[in-house]
Amino acid sequence: MPHIVKSTIIDAPTAVVWSVLRDFNGHDHWHPAVATSTIERAQASDKIGCVRRFRLKDGAELREQLLALSDLEQTFSYCLLDTPIPMFNYVAHVRLLPVTDGDRTFWHWESRFTTKPEDATALTRMVAEEIYQAGFDAIRKHLKEAA
Amino acid sequence: MARVYVSTVVNARNDRVWQRVRDFNGLPNWHPAIAESRIEGGEPADKIGCVRDFRLRNGDRIREKLLGLSDYDMFCTYSILESPMGVENYVATLRLTPVTDGDQTFIEWTAEFDCAPDRETELVNNIGGGVFQGGFDALKRAFGG
Repeated sequence: MPHIVKSTIIDAPTAVVWSVLRDFNGHDHWHPAVATSTIERAQASDKIGCVRRFRLKDGAELREQLLALSDLEQTFSYCLLDTPIPMFNYVAHVRLLPVTDGDRTFWHWESRFTTKPEDATALTRMVAEEIYQAGFDAIRKHLKEAA
Repeated sequence: MARVYVSTVVNARNDRVWQRVRDFNGLPNWHPAIAESRIEGGEPADKIGCVRDFRLRNGDRIREKLLGLSDYDMFCTYSILESPMGVENYVATLRLTPVTDGDQTFIEWTAEFDCAPDRETELVNNIGGGVFQGGFDALKRAFGG
């Protein structure tokens, strides 16, 4: 089962990073791969179980469900329900931890999924680089522009 | 119960940092406040349950017991058996986590303990801002930032 782990340091307090990341429907405002996003059935984006339906810039449509969200731990987890690519049982976890030395943020993003063996390497690379690493870089830019 | 949490980022891969801090008897090699250390009873320093008896540069003596050590998850948990600090039920953990973006290491050092209520702020500041941060600063110097 492919296991992806990516992490970075963001030069802002966890409260600032969390205020952007905790909105499960907000990724179209900052992630370069996401064009539009809505929460199904007009539910709140912090209601556990809500589903975000979003379109990537390449036209692909995906649905993901919020499994857990904690303002205390500054974590959330979600799974993929529908995607046009052969990824199954995808569950991801996002976690922020304070770097007290300099009031910065450690951001950990990890996931596991199943797929056909011949697709594992390419999909792992795609998610790690185009989704997670690109997301790190985008948040860094997003926070700089907001400042 | 009082709680200490401090964390930092060191500019080196986690396996290199772990090599430096995993030796439960190795504090004098990297922590500037520690003068000397020995493991009681001639036990190996990575035997769970072993006790380190060490002396700080200010003369204080502390005995600590190794409760947990994982080379896989890169953490070390220990308790204080004897110290002049006036703390009870003191348990601390030093944990390393890789930062994949730039090959750095995120280090967390936490402690929980009981103490007299009027001493809590002073102890939390001394342990977190003094002892733990002092260790971080030494590691950052050793690994160039």
